[in-house]
Amino acid sequence: VCTSRFWFNYRHVANTLSVYRSVKRLGIPDSHIVLMLADDMACNPRNPKPATVFSHKNMELNVYGDDVEVDYRSYEVTVENFLRVLTGRIPPSTPRSKRLLSDDRSNILIYMTGHGGNGFLKFQDSEEITNVELADAFEQMWQKRRYNELLFIIDTCQGASMYERFYSPNIMALASSQVGEDSLSHQPDLGIGVHLMDRYTFYVLEFLEEIHPASQTNMNDLFQVCPKSLCVSTPGHRTDLFQRDPQNVLITDFFGSVRKVEITTETISLDSDLAGFESKLPKDELATEPQKYAEQLPVAQIIHQKPKQKDWHPPGGFILGLWALIIMVFFKTYGIKHMKHVF
Amino acid sequence: MAAPLVLVVLVAVTVRAVLYRSSLAAFISERVEVASPLNAWKRVVEGLALLDLGVSPYSGAIFHETPLIIYLFHFLIEYAELVFMITDVLTAVALYLAIQDFNKVVFKKQKLLIELDKYAPDVAELIRTPMEMHYIPLKVALFYLLNPYTVMSCVAKSTCAINNTVIAFFILATIKGSAFLSAVFLALATYQSLYPLTLFAPALLYLLQRQFIPIKLKSKSFWLYTMQYAALYLCSLVVIICLSFFLLNSWDFIPSVYGFILSVPDLTPNIGLFWYFFAEMFEHFSLFFVCVFQINVFFYTIPLAIKLKEHPVFFMFIQIAIISIFKSYPTVGDIALYMAFLPVWSHLYRFLRNIFILSCVLIVCSLLFPVLWHLWIYAGSANSNFYYAITLTFNIGQILLISDYFYAFLRREYYLTHGLHLTRQDGTEAMLVLK
Repeated sequence: VCTSRFWFNYRHVANTLSVYRSVKRLGIPDSHIVLMLADDMACNPRNPKPATVFSHKNMELNVYGDDVEVDYRSYEVTVENFLRVLTGRIPPSTPRSKRLLSDDRSNILIYMTGHGGNGFLKFQDSEEITNVELADAFEQMWQKRRYNELLFIIDTCQGASMYERFYSPNIMALASSQVGEDSLSHQPDLGIGVHLMDRYTFYVLEFLEEIHPASQTNMNDLFQVCPKSLCVSTPGHRTDLFQRDPQNVLITDFFGSVRKVEITTETISLDSDLAGFESKLPKDELATEPQKYAEQLPVAQIIHQKPKQKDWHPPGGFILGLWALIIMVFFKTYGIKHMKHVF
Repeated sequence: MAAPLVLVVLVAVTVRAVLYRSSLAAFISERVEVASPLNAWKRVVEGLALLDLGVSPYSGAIFHETPLIIYLFHFLIEYAELVFMITDVLTAVALYLAIQDFNKVVFKKQKLLIELDKYAPDVAELIRTPMEMHYIPLKVALFYLLNPYTVMSCVAKSTCAINNTVIAFFILATIKGSAFLSAVFLALATYQSLYPLTLFAPALLYLLQRQFIPIKLKSKSFWLYTMQYAALYLCSLVVIICLSFFLLNSWDFIPSVYGFILSVPDLTPNIGLFWYFFAEMFEHFSLFFVCVFQINVFFYTIPLAIKLKEHPVFFMFIQIAIISIFKSYPTVGDIALYMAFLPVWSHLYRFLRNIFILSCVLIVCSLLFPVLWHLWIYAGSANSNFYYAITLTFNIGQILLISDYFYAFLRREYYLTHGLHLTRQDGTEAMLVLK
């Protein structure tokens, strides 16, 4: 996650993209990576080399290219989206590439970079995430069984404050500087005009360059990366919540996707297993006839037809009485003698 | 005179038929000024449909028509348009014949009073001649048939037209002098909407006048005739109500019709004054004010009877106007009925003072009713106060019309007996004032 935007924060994007590259190189596919960037460097009008993001001076390594899949870009990088990705509380319409589809056997690596302070990390120059929120998000992940082990790396000023509040098991954390210290950038490129990387990440990447999928390097070596003499700030780490000894934790457990593959030379027949499986079905379930649609829905019972109501007619007594009255009035007015003319 | 009347009738029927076929018919039926909860056609259809489903139409507060209307429309519902056109024609013909007879009576009375030297010497210009009165019945029929209010009421198929027909027949029977028929039609009119009860007094006065019975409280013949007429009226009313019982074998129609008219539970806006008042009122006071408002309709009968006992037909006109202003659910059909009588008093033209302002108020308010309704209900930029203001103005215009005619009529009567040039004691010109 890169939490900064604007041209002068070029190095944070370069940090994130370099770690992304290393992780991909070590075998983790894009479907297993959630990349959150402001993504305003490569096509920035101030970029003298458009469509590139360099991580090393003299433009040696372009970490931006055709195969960079940014999942959350620009204004989508918000605290809310980050926490939703972590905890899994995303709207049903979110595509798979934007989800963290982890379960309780997954090892998760979280790398965050940007501007931070004592207990908070600034997102996109408009909001902050606190260390308490982050700790609570990790606890939610633990309770929802969303990780097996979690490695948290943060490269910001006073980064150690961000892992102070964690309380969930199986979390290991690394930070580029202690509380009260600033993380410093590594080297400016005078051609591009900005600093290209931060020191801590630069040395971590140098370290990662020597890792290959079969290497047995463990976490203790990662803790030694970037001593004070090189980094100016004091990197810190926290392993008290982690159940395994860092000595026994391989770098590739988090940074790479190492599969345990056993190659056999003989063929294995699977037919006998299927036959045994089929006989376990109960007999009566197999012997039914396919049901026809009309029989499944008894229409006559569903639509209860009410008997057609007879139309209402005024009662005979009423009609008789009314017309008797009318005739009486008529003859009272015009006299009985006219009756013979009527009939 | 038959040919011009037939022509007028044909024109009116054509206008109505054209409007029935056009798309305006549906729009007009929905207008609250034309269709009230008492006489909307939609409710008649609903009641008859309920009857076909085996449910009493008076269950629920939809149907407020009398059982005789159910009987009438049960067989004629497919020909509803024809029925309403025929009722309008019948009303116009009845009014035509009634006013024809009335003119003869007026002329006879005038002749009698001239011969008896009851008139002052200089009132020659106020005496009416048969020549000028020749076209009045036609004008009355014309005013009724081609009045936009009547046309709208007919196109909306509001049963107010049937009420108007019954009242017109009642007026015809009264003027012809048949107490029996007059009582029967008055009972029918009262049975349908409660308020024609107040027309009992002018009808009684007219019949007494016709029988040359003097209206003295001590006179035995006066009380005898009154009792006879009242007995005829009440008996017909009771017979009709009992007959209605046998239609549905229940007395449900009494609270649905008369209870509804008197207690005014439905506060849909109309052109009357009840709805706004009762919409704003606390429950605590509503009974009191319902009583006050209803008494207001019946209250003017006695004073008007005392003042206008010599002129019962004018009294009838004023009474019909008061009913259509102060009844609980007035519609424009009620207004159309009393406006049809205005040509009868056209000789009062020189004494009417507010013709211009009245016509402006009535026309403008009639045009503003749909506008403010639209603004209130559809656009949402007005509220009920706007519509109420127009209702108020419209009713004030109507009241002004009645009081203007009243004043003009009484003034003419005064001039007839006292001479046109009135002088005060000191010789200056005097002015009659209605106190």
